[in-house]
Amino acid sequence: MRKRNRALYYGKKLLIFLFSVLVLSAVVFYVARLAPGDPLVSYYGDRTEKMSPKEREWAMEKLGLDEPIHVQYVKWMQNAFHGDFGISFKYKRDVVEVIRGRIVNTLLLGGIGFLCIFVGSLLLGVFCAWHEDRWIDRILCKLGTVSSCIPEFWLSLVLILIFAVTLRVLPSSGAYSTGRANDIGDRVRHLILPLAIVTIEHLWYYAYMIRNKLLEEVRADYVLLAKAKGLNKRRILFWHCLRNVLPAYLSIMAIAVPHVLGGTFVVETVFSYPGIGALSYESARYHDYNLLMLLCMMSGILVIFCNMLSQIINEHIDPRIKASEVAETSEVTAA
Amino acid sequence: MKGITGRDTERSCTTGAADTNTDSNGCAEVISDRNDGRVYGTTDRLFQIAGQRAAEEKTSLVKKKWYQGKPILSIGILSVILLGCLFAEVLMTKDPTYMDLINYNKAPDGEFLFGTDTMGRDIFSMIWYGGRISLLIGALSTAISTLVAVVVGAFSGAAPEWLDNLIMRFTEIFLSIPSLLLVILLQAIMGKANVLSLSVVLGLTSWTSIAKVVRTEVRQIRNSEFVIAARCMGGGFFHILWKHFAPNFLSSILFMVIMNVRSAIISESTLSFMGIGLPLEVISWGSMLSLSEKALMTSSWWMILIPGVFLVTTLLCLTNIGNYLRKSGNRRERNL
Repeated sequence: MRKRNRALYYGKKLLIFLFSVLVLSAVVFYVARLAPGDPLVSYYGDRTEKMSPKEREWAMEKLGLDEPIHVQYVKWMQNAFHGDFGISFKYKRDVVEVIRGRIVNTLLLGGIGFLCIFVGSLLLGVFCAWHEDRWIDRILCKLGTVSSCIPEFWLSLVLILIFAVTLRVLPSSGAYSTGRANDIGDRVRHLILPLAIVTIEHLWYYAYMIRNKLLEEVRADYVLLAKAKGLNKRRILFWHCLRNVLPAYLSIMAIAVPHVLGGTFVVETVFSYPGIGALSYESARYHDYNLLMLLCMMSGILVIFCNMLSQIINEHIDPRIKASEVAETSEVTAA
Repeated sequence: MKGITGRDTERSCTTGAADTNTDSNGCAEVISDRNDGRVYGTTDRLFQIAGQRAAEEKTSLVKKKWYQGKPILSIGILSVILLGCLFAEVLMTKDPTYMDLINYNKAPDGEFLFGTDTMGRDIFSMIWYGGRISLLIGALSTAISTLVAVVVGAFSGAAPEWLDNLIMRFTEIFLSIPSLLLVILLQAIMGKANVLSLSVVLGLTSWTSIAKVVRTEVRQIRNSEFVIAARCMGGGFFHILWKHFAPNFLSSILFMVIMNVRSAIISESTLSFMGIGLPLEVISWGSMLSLSEKALMTSSWWMILIPGVFLVTTLLCLTNIGNYLRKSGNRRERNL
């Protein structure tokens, strides 16, 4: 009986997931095609202007853009199910190939950044809660508030100004120096600044959450009991309080994954780092439909999946919470 | 024992005796007056009660000055910036749009207080003049997003279950489209960017979190008697929303509204910096920073630091005010 319930539960989740992905794909498809602009420009470049109406018609037919949108959509869906996402108009290659060359860089930046944020904010939050209202906690809180107020791009500019222009110790752009693509040391040097910015930008948000949740826990009655039993401060904080906070932290960090990956977008642009951030910007601007679709679907699926993951975590912690209410509570505490 | 006596003692100390010098005797007397005839005070002295602590008397005795605990500094700085932008014409030493082709890329000096940019425009004048646009976009887009959020949230909260679910699903899907792509797409549909179109775009992409809070609050009170009474008397949706729902959820979304102003200003500057927001001719803090690529090459720090410092200071003041609004109620003493 119980097993069946569980299967039903995950089946329902899967259905909602598929439905959301379907609606998302339709919305993105329609919005992208209805946006004004000439998709031919991205394929033919400047030649588009000199085309005769006849040539234009032929080109549209070749790219499959002459049919009504819903027919195009169905065709796209059919091909997508066979793993064929079309070619990029701009790069004139298979979109999967175009993305494959770039995604490693973004995953590297986002992944390491996420790990830094995950560990760093946990440590920072516990440290602040331990020293509540002492000078170190106050200074960290002030610094954290300031860091969360600085726009990503400006922080990048200032750090480039300091470390690349004035001190000349770190490179200011790219993922590797020309001709040294396989040199790991060189890659690491290029990664330091973008990584620092991604981490600083998100760190305090989650550290502050941990701090506040811990301070709430510390005021609960069971802490009093543990103290009366003679446990020391460290054991109570790490063994009892932190344990109660961790599941909520995990569920928020699940939502944080797309946020952090999305945050690499701006950083990638400033550092001209060859990731998929710049690629998605290009594709939306120049109507590279197939590329745009795949990128949107990837990020959309990631967001939906992570939200669902956090819902599942939350529902396991507290079965009283219904699926619909989880999003709000996490949203509110995160804000 | 602890659960009952300890708590009662504390409470009667604070409420019963306003005098700070009340010793344990005073407490005991107050308690032993209870009509069950037992003397509680003696147990207090015989056993030490775990977790018992003196009542917090400080708050009631020392009267707070009106400015204590309020973000006076932030409000002050923010009003200076606001007034400076509002009366930019008085402060400006030069025409912010005039391109001085002789004095371009100059470091700050007596004549050009904050220096000039690579196009020869005076940065000091541009700061005040451009701040208008940045702040205007912040305010305008927040107004739009709050309006959408309140209407959608309240409608969803008051709607029947299935409609509510549908709307919330829709919101989730809307959230899952990367907002930067959404902004670019909307921008493409609405044509060349100007202040209004950018505000509309930013407003339309940032309403979801407020809408969720509004929905929850409305769900809690939608079956209250006063709402039912209003509906029975023929009150329309917007009447009830304005008269009954709004006063109830206003305090809980105020903080988020302030934070929305903040994120709108950040988005505007980021978009303008990347060249998809306001064009270079429309002066705002963000579009001033879009020249920074050239500034980096000539290492002209003033072109990057000065607009950025103004931007960050404004954001910081807004955050402080927002955080003050969020803090509610007293903090309890920690048990650790």
